[in-house]
Amino acid sequence: MRRWGLRHKGRINWKAPMPGGEVIRLIDAVPGKKYRIESINGGCRLNSHLCAMGFIPYEIFYVSRASRGGPLCIIVKGTKFAIGRGMAGKILIRELENEE
Amino acid sequence: MKSKITIALAGNPNSGKTTVFNNLTGLRQHVGNYPGVTVEKKTGVVEYKGYRINVVDLPGIYSLTAYSMEEIVARNFIIDEKPDVVVDIIDSSNLERNLYLATQLIELDSPLVLVLNMADIAKKSGKKIDIDLLSELLGAPIVETVGCKGLGSKEVLGSVIEEVNSKKKKKIEIKYGEEVENEINRITAIFKREKIPPLKFDTKWIIVKLLEQDNEIINVLKETLGSKYQKIEKEITGSINHITSILRNTPEVIIAEARYGFINGALMESYREVDTGRLDISEKVDRILTNRVLGIPIFALIMWLMFQFVFTVGKYPMNWIDIGFGKLSEIITSNMAEGLISSLLVDGIIGGVGGVIVFTPNIMLLFLSIAVLEDSGYMARAAFVMDRIMHKIGLHGKSFIPLVIGFGCTVPAYMGSRILENKGDRLLTMHINTFMSCGARLPVYILFAGAFFPAIAGNVIFSIYIIGVIMAVVMAKVLRSTRFKGMSDPFVMELPPYRVPTLKGVLIHTWERTWMYVKKAGTVILAISILMWIAFTFPMIGNNYSTDYHGQIDEIEQSYQSGTITQQYYKEQIAAVEGKMAGERLAYSAAGRIGRFAEPVFKLLGFDWKMTVAAISGIAAKEVIVSTMGTLYSIEEADGQSEPLKTVLNKNYHPLVGYNFMLFTLLYFPCLTAMVVFRKEAGTKEMFFQMGYTLFLAWMVSFLVFQIGRLFI
Repeated sequence: MRRWGLRHKGRINWKAPMPGGEVIRLIDAVPGKKYRIESINGGCRLNSHLCAMGFIPYEIFYVSRASRGGPLCIIVKGTKFAIGRGMAGKILIRELENEE
Repeated sequence: MKSKITIALAGNPNSGKTTVFNNLTGLRQHVGNYPGVTVEKKTGVVEYKGYRINVVDLPGIYSLTAYSMEEIVARNFIIDEKPDVVVDIIDSSNLERNLYLATQLIELDSPLVLVLNMADIAKKSGKKIDIDLLSELLGAPIVETVGCKGLGSKEVLGSVIEEVNSKKKKKIEIKYGEEVENEINRITAIFKREKIPPLKFDTKWIIVKLLEQDNEIINVLKETLGSKYQKIEKEITGSINHITSILRNTPEVIIAEARYGFINGALMESYREVDTGRLDISEKVDRILTNRVLGIPIFALIMWLMFQFVFTVGKYPMNWIDIGFGKLSEIITSNMAEGLISSLLVDGIIGGVGGVIVFTPNIMLLFLSIAVLEDSGYMARAAFVMDRIMHKIGLHGKSFIPLVIGFGCTVPAYMGSRILENKGDRLLTMHINTFMSCGARLPVYILFAGAFFPAIAGNVIFSIYIIGVIMAVVMAKVLRSTRFKGMSDPFVMELPPYRVPTLKGVLIHTWERTWMYVKKAGTVILAISILMWIAFTFPMIGNNYSTDYHGQIDEIEQSYQSGTITQQYYKEQIAAVEGKMAGERLAYSAAGRIGRFAEPVFKLLGFDWKMTVAAISGIAAKEVIVSTMGTLYSIEEADGQSEPLKTVLNKNYHPLVGYNFMLFTLLYFPCLTAMVVFRKEAGTKEMFFQMGYTLFLAWMVSFLVFQIGRLFI
């Protein structure tokens, strides 16, 4: 099956293990780094909503701000979002290795 | 040829949809609510080439799922009302995300016109779009506009009319990938086998929605299909499990990916982008405005400026309105015989309606500020900055704004709560807003603090404000963990790029809200003011005064005419007697009787019947408490600074009772106007809940303070 939904420079071999670091929760992301979304586990209703805002698996995003106790600020598909810590705990991400 | 058509404007939040709407319709707009929900419905009419086009502005949404009330409303409008054309407004500099909504409109197979708004910004930042190709790939005509400069409106209307008249229907189908398509086919077969009657939706669309577990559609099917639905449900669950196990993601995510796939497929050929600089500017501004250290002080400063703007600038027009109504009262009193009708006109109607109109400048300036903050993009940042603190007490970051406004006046604060999208957040913010001491309560505090604690009046008043804030925090926690449990959305919010707000947009926004306030509050308040006037006037005392006041007045008149007393003394004496008469009239009226009747309940708080009547009159408006207190103690024209009233209060009550009365005034629901607005914003049930729980809380707190305090005095 051809996977559209993909905005990644170059092709990815799906059989091979995903490049990049450990799978972590978005809540533990470090500002100034790029990550890739692994999965969203918020239940059907919330998943649909997040997808509509551009949060889909394999999407690459940038963490612009994250401070202890407060919401995170991330850039997905050219749009900046504030995302609460509760929600951020339900999104699994993987850090991208420096590829550029 | 049809000459009357309806079009619906759809689009993401921050896509400039409202600006396009304003450009299309100008000032011929009508604002209402969708039936049964608090989602705003804006409509307007425009005439073009012999067509009368009815434009409906749907709420700003990201998709047509059933995530929020807005999405359900928008979807139902498109499905049920079947507008002749749906116009999807798209932010050209964010095509991919914005086209997601378009794919769902394509799925619904509604006649579609795509508007690429803010085309100038996209071009400036080096984005190249092959309009013709994209239009062909998406199966819908595309028009470019620049909303903030008013460009492209004619072209939009032209495309709409072309679309209405075009016969050819080219349905674009979105493929969801092999696995999902297989399941869709399998369930379509089951639909046929079970002889499901044709519904108002397309079968494939329904199945996609069922795979996405869309609650609204599930409920509709449950209702219409009855027992047959159970069979379908079982099959759907099977499909969901199958898809999830193979693709390791739930169907709604897979389907969303497929939609983005379709978009990327279309964009791959028709769109080229060179890196954008726009976000970088916003990013730089954000570095300061949402800074960890500076963010909150900057927000506080902006709030302070807004508060000053709303209440300091608003003071002048408020004064003019006040003087105007005063003059009107004077004209009526001087031209009409003193009697019931003039009293009804002056005290009832002008007093009541004037009390509503007088807030208009505040409301207008408040909505002006909110419109500027929203349109510029700062509002989202404010929520971001404040979320950390507000989250701890169970509120949304944006709740802070209405709460600050509440210190000025609760009426605009309730209306300002509209900036909260989630119903639970909005109601919670409204329910605790009462405890932010509004300006009308200040005269009461000044009077009582001045009467009982002259040396430390400032500190005492401050303590009342602080207790209010503490109460708000406590009640927010309590309500969030009981009545509004789980009614909060996870916090995900777009931080749109900063923009300069357009004058037209800001003005239209301000005007709409203000007019809505005047119209809605005004009509109900008129009726209630008359009722309040009746309660404070009837039954009339007639000649049942305790002493012969008329005789006393005659005596004073005689001594004045015979020259034994000075004019000054004469006036004072007359005022004293008339004051006593007014006090007795009030005590005799229904309100006075209620006060006496309710006295046993308030005795437990240390209040006598006079305080009780004053508290009741405070329902009309809290500052009325002061003048009622004055009337009851026979002091004419009393205000918060009135020395005689302070003396008499100090003589009659213990300081503990005085402080307790201030607490009571702080805690019970603000005023009638506020309650009417509350009902309009949140419904009758919520209004009664607000009245009930604040009264109960006020009583409980005052009870405890008085009973415990009594042990120490």
